[in-house]
Amino acid sequence: MRCVVCIKQVPSTTKVKLDPVTKTIIRDARQSVVNPFDAYAIEEAVRVKEKTNGSVSVLSMGIPATERLLRDAVARGADRALLLSDRAFAGADTLATSYTLSLGIRRLGAFDLIFCGKMAVDGDTAQIGPELAETLGIPHVTDVTEILELGEKEIKVRRATDEGYEILKVTLPALLCVVKDINMPRMPSIAGIRYSQAAPFEVLGAEALSADIARTGLDGSPTQVVHTFTPERAGECVQIDGDCKTQAVKMLGLIAAETKTAEGGN
Amino acid sequence: MSQLIRKYSDDYAEYMRDESRTTGYAETISFPKTEEDVREILGALAPSKTSITVQAARTGLAAGAVPFGGHAMNIVRMNRVLGLRKGENGLFYVRVQPGVILSQLKKDIEEKRFDTKGWSSESLAALAEFEAASEQFFPTDPTETSACIGGIVACNASGARSYLYKSARGHISGVRLMLSDGGIIALRRGCVFAKGRTLELPKENGGTLIVPLPSYQMPATKNASGYYVADDMDAIDLIIGSDGTLGIMTEIELELLPLPAAIWGVSTFFDSEKKAIHFVQKMREKVSNVAAIEYFDVGAINILRDQKKTNAAFAQLPDVESWAACCVYTELHCHGEESALEKLYEIGVCIAESGGDENKTWVARNARDLEQLQFFRHAVPESTNMMIDKRRQIDPAITKLGADMSVPDEYLEDVVALYRAGLEEYGLESAIWGHIGDNHLHVNILPRDGADFKKGKELYAKWARVITDMGGAVSAEHGVGKIKAPFLEVMYGREHIIEMAKMKYAFDPGFIFGRGNMFPADVQEEVQL
Amino acid sequence: MAGLVIDREKCTGCGLCLKSCAVNALSVKNGSAAVSDVCVMCGVCVDVCPFNAILIEKKEAAETEAFLYKDVWVFAEQSAGTLASVSLELTGEGRRLADARRCALVAVLSGKNGQENAKVLIAAGADKVIFCPDERLAENNDEAYADYVSSLIEKYKPEAVLFGATKFGRSLAPRVAARVKTGLTADCTVLEIDPETKLLRQTRPAFGGNLMATIVCPAHRPQMATVRPGIMAAPEPDFSRCGELVEETFFARTVPAIELLEKIKTDKTMSIADAQIIVDAGRGIGNQKNLALVKEFADLIGAELGCSRPLVDMGWCEYRHQVGQTGCSVAPKLLITFGVSGAIQHLAGIARAEKIIAVNSDPEAPIFGVAHYAVVGDCVEILKEMIAALKQGGASLSKLPVPVFRK
Repeated sequence: MRCVVCIKQVPSTTKVKLDPVTKTIIRDARQSVVNPFDAYAIEEAVRVKEKTNGSVSVLSMGIPATERLLRDAVARGADRALLLSDRAFAGADTLATSYTLSLGIRRLGAFDLIFCGKMAVDGDTAQIGPELAETLGIPHVTDVTEILELGEKEIKVRRATDEGYEILKVTLPALLCVVKDINMPRMPSIAGIRYSQAAPFEVLGAEALSADIARTGLDGSPTQVVHTFTPERAGECVQIDGDCKTQAVKMLGLIAAETKTAEGGN
Repeated sequence: MSQLIRKYSDDYAEYMRDESRTTGYAETISFPKTEEDVREILGALAPSKTSITVQAARTGLAAGAVPFGGHAMNIVRMNRVLGLRKGENGLFYVRVQPGVILSQLKKDIEEKRFDTKGWSSESLAALAEFEAASEQFFPTDPTETSACIGGIVACNASGARSYLYKSARGHISGVRLMLSDGGIIALRRGCVFAKGRTLELPKENGGTLIVPLPSYQMPATKNASGYYVADDMDAIDLIIGSDGTLGIMTEIELELLPLPAAIWGVSTFFDSEKKAIHFVQKMREKVSNVAAIEYFDVGAINILRDQKKTNAAFAQLPDVESWAACCVYTELHCHGEESALEKLYEIGVCIAESGGDENKTWVARNARDLEQLQFFRHAVPESTNMMIDKRRQIDPAITKLGADMSVPDEYLEDVVALYRAGLEEYGLESAIWGHIGDNHLHVNILPRDGADFKKGKELYAKWARVITDMGGAVSAEHGVGKIKAPFLEVMYGREHIIEMAKMKYAFDPGFIFGRGNMFPADVQEEVQL
Repeated sequence: MAGLVIDREKCTGCGLCLKSCAVNALSVKNGSAAVSDVCVMCGVCVDVCPFNAILIEKKEAAETEAFLYKDVWVFAEQSAGTLASVSLELTGEGRRLADARRCALVAVLSGKNGQENAKVLIAAGADKVIFCPDERLAENNDEAYADYVSSLIEKYKPEAVLFGATKFGRSLAPRVAARVKTGLTADCTVLEIDPETKLLRQTRPAFGGNLMATIVCPAHRPQMATVRPGIMAAPEPDFSRCGELVEETFFARTVPAIELLEKIKTDKTMSIADAQIIVDAGRGIGNQKNLALVKEFADLIGAELGCSRPLVDMGWCEYRHQVGQTGCSVAPKLLITFGVSGAIQHLAGIARAEKIIAVNSDPEAPIFGVAHYAVVGDCVEILKEMIAALKQGGASLSKLPVPVFRK
């Protein structure tokens, strides 16, 4: 089975420390990492490859330094890597990103399964998978927790829903967004790292992809950020005073208020 | 009596034990927050010569923090970071109260965020420099990160990375020690030295403490057994690793180092212990920038395999292939990815030369994978403890018996042979793991019943003698505490134990601090007479 | 080409923007800020610059004929004929937006109980409910719904469409947005109409919640957003409201490639890891007998039981209840602790709890350092009082008044 995995480079921590007044970001010097959810997508693709004697290509849109992470994916079992990198891709929202990725996927050739992580931890949108599938005109399934059967023309998967699970039969080619429960990503071996360092690596820009630059990057993004601000932090700890009886009554009221949102929150 | 001293009640039961599962007892307990609080408590207790056991996170494995009567002084609320300075050597030094938890401090350092309430302007200026500097870290990394700094200093803890960075000792630059009369000895590294084997320690409010140092030679190996003594030694080294027997530490200053740009972990699996040992020897000989070399034997791996099946907390552990008989974890600390890659390939060569396979390795090159390998390493002692806890529900008298002995490099094969022969002869269940790079393996005997427990203790006493003959140490990192006090006598002999007790007497004439730690009960009388 | 542009006339080279950049894309060269290729155009520096020297230049897409689009739509998600609670929250929010925009609020509905649900949606603020009784829309199926919703959008041209950020909503909305080629903002927490531009201002957390970003979709229609459930209050129903019910037919455009074979409902309260409400007991509850009170209380409020390690070590509680480093890491909406002092290992396990109410007799217990509400008092007495009150009140929490606390 021919698999493609879309990965994203994200900052090593999403806990950006920010001075509320000056908006100064306290950066750490640590290097960017592959989006944690994407690690599960890579692993699942490699497992499918091993079971079906198939292949895995990894794909990313990002700055040139993303090469390091794509090579890391090769060390973990992918066969080839493609980076889409161009100034014309910068500032893309999910629609523009999906378009650009779809061009990369077409360039990789015929495929059966595309894997995406549930979402990227820096953007938290979880939109790329469905939007990419739509752009490619193939079905998608989000929140995939297990691939139950791998057929040549169709697969059977389990997906988490707000109420439990669904078992779905999906005609290939298709796109799956996988959750953390799906597997336990392996670590590369020394032999795998040796291989990945020597493996061929491809970078393509807008021209090479024949991209319509009105649909890529900031220009191709319908949405734009107009304002950023620091959220108000929840206040200090609130003391609940009084005798036991008063405290009990106050607590019950609080619990009622909090559980109301808990039930609504799902 | 001081308001700070509370009468013991069952609410405080958890403060009567530590991670060694030893349970003690106390009449009173306190939770001081400041040096002044400690002085007030001492003022109330010292005149009556009430024994005082200082404790913090109680993560120790030698029962040093478990009170055997008297007063338990729990210092976990002395948990403030007090200040920061930049030394002339360009390194940063952080000053803390002893109850600061290691994991919290690590986090503060990592995030470069401190609670700066009450900090001096010098400290705040140093903090500004610290924020601008590259990432820093405290190199001592005991497995148990919920340990308090006070405990780490008291037992001179080390952890896996001590292969490169040595024990905590080298990274402790200052200590304030309160004596039973409330007086303070403030020491900074490089300021007060012994003359031969005599120390003159200035007290902060005048007066001098004359301390006769014991005459023994310490083993030339990783060591946390008894007091650190050497000719013309730095006075601060005596306090580090003194097991809470000399006084109460009220402040500690730690040295930080710049964090290496590339920290990579490599777990290598072998099908035989022999190959693993061979690999370790090759690594020591050929590869530099290695911060840790750790070992997990088949017993340890099997416990993990079992726990993973039955225990949800360990479900996320990576699977170890069934053929694997042991694992060696190595950690590279390099200034860049390129040099790390070079070293990684060198490790690969060592693996091949020892009969292993480069494919049978887990390489962690990012924080998430490193965390995974760390989880694996930490799960070994944790799952072993859980297994023993289960057995204790049937027979509460048994505990895990953990050896913490080290030998010089040339005895690595001999000491492993010694352990294997002993375990076989006595028919005991075991799990061996630990710091093989320093020939410092934790041999854990897992008694199935009271008889096993008794046999295990016998075996340890036997090993202690052989290891002393090899020039080794009976406690390489956990400290002596109460559990290993008998072995200390095997290692140094009665005569030197008396010398040590005499030295303690100079600090603590009432013998109130850490009663039961390091010394057999009768020594005190012998010295005081 | 689009990009971050620095106005060299205005820029003083002060370097403030450097400190605000999460990706380290800015530097000061020759007395003026410069931007490198790693810029992701998040716009933080634009707001930080005191001299308005930074702007993001963008070639606007050919304007969609925005004036043709009108009305605010909400997607009324349902399952087996029961409206998702977020559907009502959206309707309440949509009403506010429609009023601000002086347009109608339309709810898009399907599935069983259409008549009933339409009434509820109208009572919650909808002016019109578009309903499709087609069997193919009975289950929450991405393919059919994407066809259905996008064809409605093409037909009616709404100005804005809101979806609940449920698992289904977050799967369907991007599929629809990509099909109608418009922008979509995920997981919004605040929505408002800009009084000048009349655009929908969509605010959502970014950078792990440390920063909020307000996003607009100026040239594409409809403006689409998913809205986090539980953030907006569901309105009080007003069944005297009138509204229109329009029935639509469904034409599938996509050949179905996904077939639902089985649907499994799971009991949500099986593991404490997933529990929404946890009552967490510590050593401070005293004895095993008191633990029974904690259990009783947990049952009464529909919470799961958690405990600290000593309780497991002593054999009072089973391991599966253990919260903390060696136990289970939990992330409930509400965690209520009794007699938990707050050992660091335990705190590690509750770090993701959204709200913590802590009861402990020791005012200096470390648990109060992480709690949102601190109750310094006797756990056992307070438990007994609460249990008595709950039993007396027919164990119904919803009848209790919501107290207001001064900070």
